[in-house]
Amino acid sequence: MSADEPLLEVRDLKTQFFTAEGTVRAVDGVSFTVEEGEIVGIVGESGAGKSVAASSILRLVEDPGEIVGGEVRFKGETLVGFEEGPDGELRERDEMLSNGEMRGRIRGREIAIIFQDPMESLNPVFTVGGQLQEFIEINRDLGGEEAEQEAIDMLREVGIPEPEARYDDYPHQFSGGMRQRVLIAMALACEPSLIIADEPTTALDVTVEGQILDLVEDLQAKYETSFIWVTHDMGVVAEICDRVNVMYLGEVIEQAEVKDLFYDTKHPYTGALLDSIPRPDETVEELNPIEGVMPEAINPPSGCRFHPRCPHAREVCIEVHPENRVVDGDGTPHRGACLRHEETFMAGYWGSDPLGNETQGETDPELTTDGGGSDE
Amino acid sequence: MATSDTQSDEMLSSDRGEGGVEEEEIESRVGLSYTLLQIQRDPTALVGLAIITVMTFIAVVAYLDAVVFDYLANYSFFANLGVEQYWFANTVWTHPENDPADVRALLPPAWTENAFGAGTWDHPLGTDHRGRDILVRLFYGTRIAIQVGFISTAIGMVFGTLIGAVAGYYGGWIDDALMRGAETLYAIPFLVLVIAFMAAFGRDLTYAMVGVGITTIPVFSRLIRSRVVSVREEDYIEAARAAGVRDRNIILRHVIPNSFAPVLVQATLQIGVSILIVAGLSFLGYGVQPPKPSWGQMLSNSRGYMLPDPWFSVWPGIAILITVVGFNLLGDGLRDALDPRVNN
Repeated sequence: MSADEPLLEVRDLKTQFFTAEGTVRAVDGVSFTVEEGEIVGIVGESGAGKSVAASSILRLVEDPGEIVGGEVRFKGETLVGFEEGPDGELRERDEMLSNGEMRGRIRGREIAIIFQDPMESLNPVFTVGGQLQEFIEINRDLGGEEAEQEAIDMLREVGIPEPEARYDDYPHQFSGGMRQRVLIAMALACEPSLIIADEPTTALDVTVEGQILDLVEDLQAKYETSFIWVTHDMGVVAEICDRVNVMYLGEVIEQAEVKDLFYDTKHPYTGALLDSIPRPDETVEELNPIEGVMPEAINPPSGCRFHPRCPHAREVCIEVHPENRVVDGDGTPHRGACLRHEETFMAGYWGSDPLGNETQGETDPELTTDGGGSDE
Repeated sequence: MATSDTQSDEMLSSDRGEGGVEEEEIESRVGLSYTLLQIQRDPTALVGLAIITVMTFIAVVAYLDAVVFDYLANYSFFANLGVEQYWFANTVWTHPENDPADVRALLPPAWTENAFGAGTWDHPLGTDHRGRDILVRLFYGTRIAIQVGFISTAIGMVFGTLIGAVAGYYGGWIDDALMRGAETLYAIPFLVLVIAFMAAFGRDLTYAMVGVGITTIPVFSRLIRSRVVSVREEDYIEAARAAGVRDRNIILRHVIPNSFAPVLVQATLQIGVSILIVAGLSFLGYGVQPPKPSWGQMLSNSRGYMLPDPWFSVWPGIAILITVVGFNLLGDGLRDALDPRVNN
């Protein structure tokens, strides 16, 4: 692994679900990287493909889903890799790790997952300590006694009071926040280089969520573990992430440092997401939700996938599908997939007729000036 | 105002009630102790448990006397002590297999009389067609019944659970292959299957138990598979997979324990059924060979004397009835105790 290679590199990852209604392109050509010690966010509405992208990294996608293309490289090893065979079909590359290697070397040991629902992610018939110990024994080659001691230490580390006593408790004897702490302990206990957190605080109330976020930040600083933080909550993103990928219908449509994303939004969808965060000075009527619902990923809209809901959509958006490209190269690259960045895409956006979606949603003046400004 | 107060009170109390139910629900998922507590509260289950305990105790004593003592008699140390088969029965009472010296066949129970004479308290339940005491033979028949019930059910439960869990966990062609195989077994009338099995291997009791065990495999595999199919979708299974746990350990440690409650209930009920089946086999001449006492064989022997001496056939029938009812009562109690939806 060369020095400048990122810890995790996902390139053009495609995961599809073959259902009776048709092929669902849950993840459709997603690329992003995770550097060491970094927290990378994946944001989007329900159904954007965030969780599928996360589980594709560990090859945990189950029937009828299948990873059909792209590449995932982790520490110089190929977790997912496809190449074109002599018959023109995509096939798995030889250096791709076998299922046994994935299980033995990667899952838990190198990359751990924290799941969304702490109430359901612990086995109800085993003690909390027993489960933690099982995972440690598997992934760190420790004996029973050592693993137990390590498990108790980990429970203390994540802020469980009296860990020796709670070790023999069953999951139902823990509150939601405590269980999420246990899950974090499980993920951290195996000392992985990367933890994928799949909406870990969604099921928790806001005060507990705050505590968990603080805990993760502390532990992250201490263990220098990288995180992929999957969420739909822009507030959490602002709180915790270093870099953010915004997903819409299986594609990453904007990719930036967290500050750039919030202060220099390049994609109308991101803008709309930020706008739709409820604020205390707004009533329900004044809320600014994104119009419409996300279309089915079986038949995504032509051109830019966001165009049916986009207040800035023009004729050209129906025809031209924007890849995400670097739209602002100052400092760290800021990638976006919107045709309004004419200097990058050259699709003739400003010469095209508006679709008239503006009436549906309120236009974000800042975004318009910004987008328009770059054109002039 | 007053009405609204009562309303809110009602709401509060109903809330509390719901909370209580929910707590029990969670408890029941965990606990042996909770299950035992539920059974203690259930008088019919307690009756079942009492019957099974008494029967098992008799069976253990009979096993010691009939099998362990027989084995120990091979060693001179024990033989010198006088240890032999049915040592205990012979000492305190009468030998269950050998014909007695003073044959008084087909005596009625102690409090009645028939053509062969009046009953005596030497043979409280009467004697059989060879003059052997019926009560002592019933006692020693208990051992066969209990042994058969537990062992054949254990065979069916272990293999059925493994097959069903593997089929349900993996799905796809593995599921199809295993479950269609199990269903093929299910499609053949099992008495025919067991008899065919014993015809191929031998008429011994061991083969009766194995044969009955095999025929019950599909019952258990279908039962647990239906649970596993939903359990495998649980997040904790996904979490275990994500942590790199082997499939074997996921099935044994995570999937089966979470799907086991209905299997336990079914096993308890199945013990009763297996006892009946093996009694039926003994009646047909398969299974325990004479002169070893077994209930089915006693029934078979009594066939010819049913009209002149009905007691002869009634006693083993009652023994079978009580035992099977005992297991069924416990099974029903277990089902209620393990099912959070049944409101106690």
